[in-house]
Amino acid sequence: MNVQAPTLEPAVRELSYAEAIRDALAVALETDDRVILMGEDIGIYGGAFQVTGDLVQRFGEDRVMDTPISELGGAGVAVGAALTGLRPIYEFQFSDFATLAMDQIVNQAAKLRFMLGGTVSVPLVMRFPAGSGTGAAAQHSQSLEAWFGHVPGLKVAQAATPHDAKGLLLAALDDPNPVMLFEHKLLYKMKGPVPEGHYTVPIGKANVCRPGRDVTIVATSIMVQRALAAAETLAGEDIEAEVIDLRTIRPMDRATVIESVARTSRLVVVYEGTTTLGIGAEVSAAIAESEAFDYLDAPIIRLGGAEVPIPYNPELEKAAVPQVPDILDAVRNLVRGVT
Amino acid sequence: MPKVDMDMSSGTIAAWHADEGAEVKAGDPLFDIETDKAAMEVESPASGRLHNILAGIGTEVAIGKPVAWIYAPGEAVGPPPESDDGGNTALPANDATAAVAVTPAPAAADHVARTADRQGKARATPRARRLARDHALDLSGIAGSGPRGRIAAADVEAQALETRTGGTVAHRPLTWQAEAGPLKVHRSGTGDGAPLFMIHGFAGDSATWQPVEPHLPAGHPVLKLDLPGHGKSPRRQIDSFRRLARSVVEAFDLEDIDQAHLVGHSLGAALALALADVRARRIASLTLIAPAGLGPEVDGAILTGIARASRRESLAPWLAQLTGGAQPPDEGFARAAMLARRDPALRAYQIDLADTLFPDSVQSFDLNPVLSRLEIPAKIIWGRSDRVFPWRQALRAPGRVALHLLQDIGHMPQSEAPEDIAALLSDMLRITDRSHAPV
Repeated sequence: MNVQAPTLEPAVRELSYAEAIRDALAVALETDDRVILMGEDIGIYGGAFQVTGDLVQRFGEDRVMDTPISELGGAGVAVGAALTGLRPIYEFQFSDFATLAMDQIVNQAAKLRFMLGGTVSVPLVMRFPAGSGTGAAAQHSQSLEAWFGHVPGLKVAQAATPHDAKGLLLAALDDPNPVMLFEHKLLYKMKGPVPEGHYTVPIGKANVCRPGRDVTIVATSIMVQRALAAAETLAGEDIEAEVIDLRTIRPMDRATVIESVARTSRLVVVYEGTTTLGIGAEVSAAIAESEAFDYLDAPIIRLGGAEVPIPYNPELEKAAVPQVPDILDAVRNLVRGVT
Repeated sequence: MPKVDMDMSSGTIAAWHADEGAEVKAGDPLFDIETDKAAMEVESPASGRLHNILAGIGTEVAIGKPVAWIYAPGEAVGPPPESDDGGNTALPANDATAAVAVTPAPAAADHVARTADRQGKARATPRARRLARDHALDLSGIAGSGPRGRIAAADVEAQALETRTGGTVAHRPLTWQAEAGPLKVHRSGTGDGAPLFMIHGFAGDSATWQPVEPHLPAGHPVLKLDLPGHGKSPRRQIDSFRRLARSVVEAFDLEDIDQAHLVGHSLGAALALALADVRARRIASLTLIAPAGLGPEVDGAILTGIARASRRESLAPWLAQLTGGAQPPDEGFARAAMLARRDPALRAYQIDLADTLFPDSVQSFDLNPVLSRLEIPAKIIWGRSDRVFPWRQALRAPGRVALHLLQDIGHMPQSEAPEDIAALLSDMLRITDRSHAPV
């Protein structure tokens, strides 16, 4: 489940999540001439969240390209570039703007391989700064990953650590099909160990971050960090929570979740996207349809975003998505038989 | 119709505590049922308005079948909803299987069918259902500890443990740790008279004596022993009756009493007899109430049923077996027994003790030789309706021993007829005090 570094241990440094992505981009640009970066303000400005940084100085404007303020146009060029043999990595300034590019992503990138009988593939990587918590209000704070997870032909991953941010990006580049990477804006400054050089974290494999016997918490992106914080507190109350970082929501690693829930008999799913018709519904259904159903000893709990646009007021913004106390309450009630 | 008794396949409505159309609250007494063994009050499983009472007083209803409907506030009250078996709620004659399976309601009759489905089916988690299947247990007989009475895996496991009363199942997940320390002796009463030293029976504790105590003559201190693993006494390792008796003798010696009037109930009576055998010179009199140890027969199912019961609902039918009539024994005993039930380790201890003392439902110790060589004044008090030990075992006692056989009294004379027992004890105190006085 957890993918460790290769046999020859490369050096491991502490990098931020943003630096880890930049590191992955640099490794890709260095080792594969077909790789190009595209996006708004990713050149001299260094990216809206300073992820690309100095890459334009290191690799030049031919490979680190600023695109006009037209997501539909930029995405279309990226799809075309992928179709003709390049390995484009397209950055959206905010994942919210992906709605402008939906035709290229959903109707073109995801379908062309199927519609052309497998004669082409679209090796496209797209990066989406997502999530709330920065006070950027309703049009810059959404978590739309489940939208893309609904489309056959796309793969959708969310790294919760700097290590996985780099590894998933390099794995996405190896994939012959379009891969959407959702990065939580609040995680960009998070530090963690990141090996040097090339390594991958496989798409479609969940990670058991913390083993436990009493309840399984399946989380994605920043919610993995919140679940881990909650699990630490719960351990002091003799509640051992198992925390699973889903890492990829399409294809979803059902086996890992099923195995865990069959052991713990209880499931809480924590994700930032709107609760309804989201990741929680999919994970719950996976359990309901599996042999783990027979082992459930309590209802499944979904902790997702509120059914509202993300508010601008900082207190309301916090209240609109699951926080650590919400996870604590849900797990306590579940394990103590109150729910 | 809930299953409140292990062998129950149907119950008869004895009384309704709410009328048609009445507002009922979850937890309020709703109706009384009678089975072949017990009378039970059934609490309302939900709050709402009571309608469509299908089973009137005196009606026999198979377990799992609806007896009435509770409607949510604002819910339209329709005609009596069809139940799953087409409305036949009364138990068909000679149809034992009707009580077992509850088939899903047909989806057609929308809200009525849905209500029927919910009312007729136990609320249980998938894991609990799976466990129940594995243990061949009927969910309708299991009390759920979760929200709205939902049955969780732990509830099924507890029930499975209770159900294995035959002693044939080796699997015993409950454990206890042996403890050291002196046995607890509770004191009450003052005076210069010789103290009473009272020993309760299996699965009881000093509270056994509560009903009698107010009626005892003044002037005699009362010492009430808690047996090992009962009441407040430590869980001592007991591998035989002899060992248990030795622990009682130790406790008695620690009290350093010149002369004591020994009183024992059931197992406690057997222990009192054993104590009198080795400390004859310090015992003024011996009163044995429904004593163990005078014959091989014992109703092992009652003993182990009480020892294994982990909640009030499963304990109640067994407690009802202890008394002569249909009334359960007094609150003190029930509470003490329930307190013991709540602690799994104590429960495990008493299950083990029952296995040690009454293997294969046989009394493993015979105190008839002790009784025949006894020289101090002694009484045996026995209820003629005792279902644990048959009172005829008393007939083996030697002629010197007084025999009091109480009509319509079961295994708990001290709570069923406390004043009679107190009077018999007063007699004993008076006679023996006089026997010590100069003639």
